[in-house]
Amino acid sequence: MKGNVIKYARDNIDTDVIIPGQYLKVHDYAELATHAMEGLDPNFHSKVKEGDFILSGRNFGCGSSREHAPIALSHSGIKAVLALSFARIFYRNAVDGAFLLPIEIDQDAYCDISEGDEIDIDIHANQIKNLTKNKTYTMKPFSEIIGKIIEAGGLFKYKPY
Amino acid sequence: MEKTLFEKIWDAHIVVEKKNGPSLIYIDRHLVHEVTSPQAFDGLRMNNRKVRRPDLTIATMDHNVPTNNRTLPILDQTSAIQIQTLEKNCNDFGIQLFDINSPNQGIVHVIGPQLGITLPGSTIVCGDSHTSTHGAFGALAFGIGTSEVEHVLASQTLWLEKPIPFEIRVEGKRKNPHAVTAKDIILSIIKNIGTSGGNGTVIEYRGDGISDLSMEQRMTICNMSIEAGARAGLIAPDEKTFEYLRGRKYTPKNYESLVDYWRDNLKTDSDAKFEKKYTLHIDDIVPQVSWGTNPGMTCDVTESIPSPEEYSKGDQNQKRGAEKALEYMALKPGTPITEIKIDRVFIGSCTNARLEDLIEASKVVKGKKISSYVRAMVVPGSQMVKKQAEELGLDKIFTDADFEWRDAGCSMCLGMNPDILSPGERCASTSNRNFEGRQGTGGRTHLVSPVMAAAAAIAGHFVDVREMDLN
Repeated sequence: MKGNVIKYARDNIDTDVIIPGQYLKVHDYAELATHAMEGLDPNFHSKVKEGDFILSGRNFGCGSSREHAPIALSHSGIKAVLALSFARIFYRNAVDGAFLLPIEIDQDAYCDISEGDEIDIDIHANQIKNLTKNKTYTMKPFSEIIGKIIEAGGLFKYKPY
Repeated sequence: MEKTLFEKIWDAHIVVEKKNGPSLIYIDRHLVHEVTSPQAFDGLRMNNRKVRRPDLTIATMDHNVPTNNRTLPILDQTSAIQIQTLEKNCNDFGIQLFDINSPNQGIVHVIGPQLGITLPGSTIVCGDSHTSTHGAFGALAFGIGTSEVEHVLASQTLWLEKPIPFEIRVEGKRKNPHAVTAKDIILSIIKNIGTSGGNGTVIEYRGDGISDLSMEQRMTICNMSIEAGARAGLIAPDEKTFEYLRGRKYTPKNYESLVDYWRDNLKTDSDAKFEKKYTLHIDDIVPQVSWGTNPGMTCDVTESIPSPEEYSKGDQNQKRGAEKALEYMALKPGTPITEIKIDRVFIGSCTNARLEDLIEASKVVKGKKISSYVRAMVVPGSQMVKKQAEELGLDKIFTDADFEWRDAGCSMCLGMNPDILSPGERCASTSNRNFEGRQGTGGRTHLVSPVMAAAAAIAGHFVDVREMDLN
């Protein structure tokens, strides 16, 4: 999975900046996407391209249980969020609805990868290649259930037996 | 094997356990509201599924209901549609709904305990992160997303990985419990362990500082567990818990025999192991005021705004976060907290809009007027709280002081209904999140206790409420 990185070098990117509360009444996902990250970066919608990744610090997606948060990012074209750590509900929402991949990275990858870098994520090898800088980093492997839900394509396609 | 309270509740709800893998956990109560449920019901319809246990599912509307003029039609069409959709969904799937005209309507985390729906030892979920509130009764209660809401509607179960038990001890006695409140305890905890300090854990709050608290105060503590990143927060039930739930609308008929069982079983064994521990001594803690854009950015009312260097202690991300926060909040390092002037006051939310909160705030307000440049409102947590408060004459105390007295809902906590801040407005708020734009685009939120919010409304700025007569 290849794409370019949009980097927010800070911790605690919360659900209210990912998609502000006033848009939780919007049911049209394309419209929802036009407001993604509006609270933090008003230029996000104009710069994001299909297949991009977001890179950020600790506790990404903290706050509300709104599934609108991964939905808004996903419908903006974001295929994965790479972060030092995630808030639990955002993490499960991202996986359950097969909206995007939440990928936990280490300090090395976090510091090294810059805005605009092209990276290639291989979730089977737990590896991230930085094609721009010609470097390789490791990602934290998914737990068993998360890996299986991702493989199945969401919580409702996951067959435990 | 010795177990923590959380592990006992978890083990009692395992339907299927996979070795080294997730468990399928049975859900005893599912609370539903208008914002995170529509797509879940759509999913059921698409797959021709029914709600497995409508009798264990309870719905209300709270997030975007108007808090005034309820006899008039709802002007915001998207809100009106979301509310009508919940009515239709509850009707189609046979779910009990407390609608906008019901005397039982209110914030889902306020009505659950008030109606006796929240019970010790049970598992409770809701498509809302502040479901952790119900942990105050010794329940395992946590927020879920809409896909999980659909999963619970369809199966009454969830696939979950077992969190780690985290012990937070609160020791000592507050010198002035009217001025230094449960809100100040939980804000102190979050300030110290950080907004991700509880990630992957279920917190059990223990110690004298917790058992001294009333049930409503315990709910304030558990409510904000999610702001420390924890999946849930809980407190072992005691006689106060059992007394609170006795004789409520949905309290089970065999309640006393349940109490006997809970009294013997719902506690952490003396040798049980917590993988993580933290202790807060509360003898000397003072009222708290948040200054930044997450609940961990909080300081004592006696302090000044910290510089990003002081706050971050060498961590670059934290420093950048603090710089951004100060810019957004339009605050300068070194400004004393008591010199921060406010424009708005919001007393409400699932954190602090229960009867006791309103009683405590009213003591500050009684016989006074709010500052000429402040607009202030009280939004009771439920229509029941509103009625009880009116029976005590609290509405009169607040309206005499020029507070607005509203109907129940989430209101200005999250800015989904017309109760929002204008860009640049600064608010003393009893809610739980000071995120950028949370209370309205460009709005600036300071998280405080109900007493501090009331005092700030009168003075027009934050004050050390320990200096007031609150008895």
